[in-house]
Amino acid sequence: MTATLRVRARSKTSPTSSASPKAVVRRVAGHVARGLVMIWVVATISFVIIREIPGDPVRGQYESLIQKGMSPEQAERATAVLYGFLPTGSLWEQYLGYMNSLLHFDLGRSLSTPGVEVTTLIGSAARWTVLPVLAGTLLSFLLGVIMGVYAAIKRSGRLGDVLALSGSLLHGVPVYVIGLLLTAIFATLWPIMPSGGPVDVEHVPGLNPGYLGSLAHHAVLPVVTYTLASYGGWILAMKSNVVAVLGDDFILAAELRGLKRGIVFRYIARNAILPLFTILALSIGMLFGGSIFIEQIFNYPGLGLLLVGSISSRDYALMGGTFLVITIGIVVANIVADLLYTAIDPRVRSGGSA
Amino acid sequence: MSPDPTAPTSHAHSAPGVRVRGLTVVYKTPMGELPAVSNVDLTLAPGTITGVVGESGSGKSTLALCLLNAVQPPGRIAAGSVEIDGLGDVVELGGEELRRARGRHVGYVFQAAQNSLNPLKTIGKQLLDLGRSHGVADLRALVRDAKDLLARMGMDGARVLDSYQHELSGGMRQRVGIMLALVLNARVVVLDEPTTALDMITQATILRIVREVHDERGLTTLVITHDVGAVAEVADDLAVMYGGRVVEHGPVKEVLGDPRHPYTQGLIRAIPRLSGDIGEARALPGRPPTLGTLPAAGCVFRERCDRRMDVCDTVEPVALTRDGRTVACHAAAEDADRRLTAARRKEFA
Ligand SMILES: Nc1ncnc2c1ncn2[C@@H]1O[C@H](COP(=O)(O)OP(=O)(O)O)[C@@H](O)[C@H]1O
Ligand code: SF4
Ligand SMILES: [Mg+2]
Repeated sequence: MTATLRVRARSKTSPTSSASPKAVVRRVAGHVARGLVMIWVVATISFVIIREIPGDPVRGQYESLIQKGMSPEQAERATAVLYGFLPTGSLWEQYLGYMNSLLHFDLGRSLSTPGVEVTTLIGSAARWTVLPVLAGTLLSFLLGVIMGVYAAIKRSGRLGDVLALSGSLLHGVPVYVIGLLLTAIFATLWPIMPSGGPVDVEHVPGLNPGYLGSLAHHAVLPVVTYTLASYGGWILAMKSNVVAVLGDDFILAAELRGLKRGIVFRYIARNAILPLFTILALSIGMLFGGSIFIEQIFNYPGLGLLLVGSISSRDYALMGGTFLVITIGIVVANIVADLLYTAIDPRVRSGGSA
Repeated sequence: MSPDPTAPTSHAHSAPGVRVRGLTVVYKTPMGELPAVSNVDLTLAPGTITGVVGESGSGKSTLALCLLNAVQPPGRIAAGSVEIDGLGDVVELGGEELRRARGRHVGYVFQAAQNSLNPLKTIGKQLLDLGRSHGVADLRALVRDAKDLLARMGMDGARVLDSYQHELSGGMRQRVGIMLALVLNARVVVLDEPTTALDMITQATILRIVREVHDERGLTTLVITHDVGAVAEVADDLAVMYGGRVVEHGPVKEVLGDPRHPYTQGLIRAIPRLSGDIGEARALPGRPPTLGTLPAAGCVFRERCDRRMDVCDTVEPVALTRDGRTVACHAAAEDADRRLTAARRKEFA
C-alpha cells in the first residue's frame, strides 16, 4: 500500500521543483526574436514612409541641393547623411543602406534642427520624458497598490467607498483634463508652480542646488498629473485582486492555522500584486512614448513633443527614429515583464499549468 | 483495525474534552438570518474520535468551524458555547488569544484542503511560517516532524517540502493539509472531509494514519465525512446531522448496528457495504433541506420520514439520552418507552 502511494507521489512531482533555466531561456529567446521582428517591421515602415511619401522628401532634398550648386556627388553624400541612405539607386539598394546605418545606430540627421543627429535629439528629449514619467508611474503604482489594499479591506465601510470612488473618478478623467485643471489651479489661480518648461533658464545646468531645485519644482505638476492619471487604474485593479484573494480558500486556511496577521497579510498582498507587476513593466516600457498631452500642457521637451514636432515639420528621419526608440522601449519592457513574472511566480517558472 | 473504545490509550487522561452546548449558527440570507446549526449539544469525550456524518448542507462544516470560532461572514454564532479543556469557551475568544489557539490547540483540516496552500510559497516555507506564528523555537525539529508525518502518509517529505502547491496532486495537497494540522501537536484535531480527493484505498490509509497519530498523541478528534463506511472504521463515536441538528449520537458500533433515528436508518439502508446486501441498498427518498426550505416548527426530517406522526408537524423532537445513546425523534422516544415498559413487564412477570 505504502509502496504504491510512494510511486504515485513521485510520479506526480516534477523532477526539479525549482526553475527550469532551459524553459526560461527558450521563452526569453522567443521574446527577443519577436521583438527584433517588431523593430524590423517598424524600421521598414519608417523607411517606406520616408521613401514613398508623396513629394519624395529624399529625392526633393537631393535635387534642391543640386539646384543650390552642389555637384551630384556632394548632394548625394549630404542627403545620405540626412536620411541614412543614398537618394539614388534602386529601392532595394536604398533599403539595405538604411538598414545598414540602423545597425550602426545611425538614425540620420534632423531636418527641422538642421545638422543635428537624430540620436542626439532623441537622447536629450528622452531625459525629459523618462524621469518624470518614471517617477509618475512608480508613484501612482505605489499609491494605487497601498490604497487598493485599504479599499479592499475596508470595502464595506465608508473609507473603502471613498477610495474606490476616487479610483473610478480619476480613472475616467482624461489625462489632459487633469493636466489643464492642475495648471489652472496651481499655475494661474494660485501660482505656486511654474506654468511650463522643464527648468528656469537663469540656472546654470549642473549639480547645483538652484538648478536641481528648479528642475524638481518644474517636475511637480507633470509628475502629479501623470500620477493622478494612472492612480485610478492601479487602485481599482489592486482592490479587485485583493478582494479575489481574500475569498480564496488558502487565506481562510492560513487563518485557521493561526498564522500571524502580518504573515497572512503578506500572503494576500503578494498574491494580489503579482498580476500588476507585468502591467507595471509594460507601462514603464510605454513611457518612451512619453505622454504627448502632458508634455504639451507643461511644455516639456520630451519624446512625445519631439514626435509631434517631427510629424508637423515633416522631419521624417526624426519621426522614424522616435518611432523606433518607442518600439524598442516596448519590446524591452515585454521581455523584462516576462522575466519578472518568471522570477516571482513559481507557477510560470516551472512551466506549470496550475 | 476497528478501535476498541474500552481500551483507553496511554495519553487519554491528558486529552482535552470538548463540550458544545446550545450552539446556534445563522447565515444572513435574502430571507433574513437562517440557522445552519440549531441548538446543538455535542460532547467529544477526551481521547476519542467522533465521526460526523450527514448529507451535504446538513451543517457539518459550520459546526466544525465553531470549534475554532471561525464561522465566516455572512454567518455568525448566534448562541451557545464551545468549551474545550485548556482553552475555555472558544466562542468567547478573540484577537491574539484566538489566533494562538488556532493551529496550536486545535488543528484544522480544511474541507477544501487541496486549496489550502499559498500558491507562491513552497510547502516548507509555509511550514516555517506556521512554526514562527506559534513561536516554535526549534524549527529544525518542526521540519523533521513534518517529514515524518509526510513519510507516514506515503510521501517523500523532503521533496514535498521543496514543492509548490501546483506541483502536487489533489490527494497530496490534502495530505499536506493533514500534516500542517498535526505538526504543531494540537490536542484537538478537526478534519473536515479530509479525504475527498483521494481514491478509496488511499482514503482508508489516511484515516488509519489519523487513527494512529490520534492514539499515539492522545488527541480528541472530530472527523467529518459524508462517507459513513469510511468513518465507521476509525471512529469511536458517531454523530448524525440533519438540517443543522445532531439527530443521533452514540458509540459508532451501536449507532450503525442499531440505528434509532429514522434518518440514520435510511442512511444505513442506502449503503450496500453496511446494509449487507447490494440488492437491499435503497437510496433515501427526497432531497435534503436547504436553509430556506427548513420548516420553522416540528421535525426537520418529517418530509422524508416513514414514521411521521401528527406531533412531528408541530413539535420539534428534543434530544434524549438513554443508555449512552442520544436520539432526537418522537418515534424513537416512543420506541424507547416501549422497550422500557417491556423490560419492566418482564421484570414483574
Ligand atoms: N456563506 C454562506 N452563506 C449562506 N449560507 C451558507 C454559507 N455557508 C453555508 N451555508 C449554508 O449553511 C448550511 C450548512 O452548510 P455546511 O455547514 O457547509 O454544510 P455541510 O458541511 O454539512 O455540507 C447549508 O445549507 C449551506 O447552504
Ligand atoms: S420526529 Fe417524527 S418526523 Fe422526525 S424523524 Fe422522528 S418520526 Fe420522523
Ligand atoms: Mg462541508
